[in-house]
Amino acid sequence: MSRSIQKNFRGLRALLIMAPDGGCQTLERTLHKLGLKITVARALPATEGAPVPFDVIFFDADDGADTTLDESAVADLPLIALIGSEAPSRLARVIQHRAASHILKPVRSSGIFTALLLAVNEQAVRIRHKNEVQALSRRLAGRRFVTKAVMQLITGCGLSEEDAYEWLRREAMQRRIPMEEMARHAIGLGPDPAQDAWPQYGRATRPD
Amino acid sequence: MATQPLQQTCCQGLLHFWVLMTQRLELPIGLLISQSGSYEAVSRAIHAGAELAIGEINARPQQPVKLIPVTIDPAGSLAGYVEGARVLLRDHGLKHVVGCYTSSSRKEVLPLFEKADALLWYPSHYEGFETSENVVYSGAAPNQHIVPLTRHLLGQFGTRGWMVGSNYVWAWENNRILREAIAASGGAVLGERYFPVGETDLGDVVRQIVADCPDFVFTTLIGQSGFAFLKMLRAAAEAAGIDQPSDMPVASCSLSEAELPLLGDAASGHLSSSVYFSTIKSDENRQFTALWNERFGQMGQASADAESAYVAVHLLARAAECAGSTGFEAVREAVRDLTFDAPQGQVTVDGDNLHCWMRPRIGRSRSDGSFDILVEHPAALRPDPYLTWAHDARDGDSRDLRLIQ
Repeated sequence: MSRSIQKNFRGLRALLIMAPDGGCQTLERTLHKLGLKITVARALPATEGAPVPFDVIFFDADDGADTTLDESAVADLPLIALIGSEAPSRLARVIQHRAASHILKPVRSSGIFTALLLAVNEQAVRIRHKNEVQALSRRLAGRRFVTKAVMQLITGCGLSEEDAYEWLRREAMQRRIPMEEMARHAIGLGPDPAQDAWPQYGRATRPD
Repeated sequence: MATQPLQQTCCQGLLHFWVLMTQRLELPIGLLISQSGSYEAVSRAIHAGAELAIGEINARPQQPVKLIPVTIDPAGSLAGYVEGARVLLRDHGLKHVVGCYTSSSRKEVLPLFEKADALLWYPSHYEGFETSENVVYSGAAPNQHIVPLTRHLLGQFGTRGWMVGSNYVWAWENNRILREAIAASGGAVLGERYFPVGETDLGDVVRQIVADCPDFVFTTLIGQSGFAFLKMLRAAAEAAGIDQPSDMPVASCSLSEAELPLLGDAASGHLSSSVYFSTIKSDENRQFTALWNERFGQMGQASADAESAYVAVHLLARAAECAGSTGFEAVREAVRDLTFDAPQGQVTVDGDNLHCWMRPRIGRSRSDGSFDILVEHPAALRPDPYLTWAHDARDGDSRDLRLIQ
């Protein structure tokens, strides 16, 4: 299935970590035309654990400005590298930061929209994948409870394997909780999650 | 910006004084406009529009600026544009060139203008998604052509559309905008086909369209392909007993007066979205069309592309006049927020993106080679080349278009 791409960036908050030179001015001018709110700084502002108040970060990969990027603080933000030197040592920094796209220097007005569009959409895919991995890990961790519950239903209630599994699935659906959570309840671990579990589980990533 | 008129008046006053004491400021201007090739009808109109403005300005002895044109004909080939730009910028050392029609030609020469610190005055509507500091765009941006047309088509004719176009970015991007709007309104794209520029073997697609009987047909075919398509569709629809102009109207963002004489019997009844039609009623337009008919009447009536080139040259002359210089940066800074009473109405250069504030209009072609204006925006619309501020075409209920007929 093809998803529609994000192509309007009005209102996004951009942080430009670079020296306020001519290239920076070209970048600012073009981002302004695209409707972004712009902050220029020489380093990532300290937020003391609070989320970084930006939606996209441009950083100069040549001047070492990127060393101020705290990876945990910017993990979910699209990063765009401004690259002049193509020396592998510099480019290695770009890879480390997992920049989602880049702009070659000297900065021209053309190319900025493309870099922004690629980065924002690439980041959206990465976040989607990250969420899917998290959901899969959670389900994998719960598999042994499902197996255990199915076994108990077979031996304790005389159900077939299919019926035991189907019962668990139906009960979970009725309670609108993950099947793994239902299985934990069925084998006597934890309270009946029917009342309090929802909505802490996202259902969008569950295909069943 | 409030101080600008005063500054302009002052600088104009000083300049007039200076002009009286000395002589007119000579402004060399390149014309990089094809006089032949597959889209020559439109391109010749662009050249004629620029010539008209140059003649008009030079004929007024009280004008402080005198334009010295240098013309090169790229003959519709990309290599011709690159070579022409090199000659104008490097050999002649020009800082101002009016030229290009297709986006591919503009993209091709743009790096040369950036390198030479020169300004391209681009006189055509285009698909947007560009804001170069080396280009002044005097044609319509997408929020001024395809977005209002999309609203009009979906609101007035229905949501089942057929799209046919020349295979390049102008067609792809306009169709993208229309396709998304159709999808959002729950309609259907019955077909979408692209052909090489210049292709005239369009019998199959015409038969398919007539068989599908869409609510409207949107075409981005340019030049010869466009003429062949309109003639063939009209003939095929008539043969099938369909009143094509009312039952499946063809709409475009480019059909102009320059092309209607080439359509023969099939010239009437087509919709076009444009900021200029020769039938606009204003003193400036009466004057412009009189000049046009006298010198270029054999090319058909005055068209949007001709007017856009005419506006570009006037803006350039005024900006140079105001700057008191012909230099790249001085003129570019002077043209920001500059206003000109153009044939289409007041045109203002946006200080931010160097595109122009203009009024979108939708016309329907007549057999006499002009357009009835059906709809026009009540005021000049801010150019929005990246469609950053335009509401999605889907949530438009044509509130901001005024039905005048």
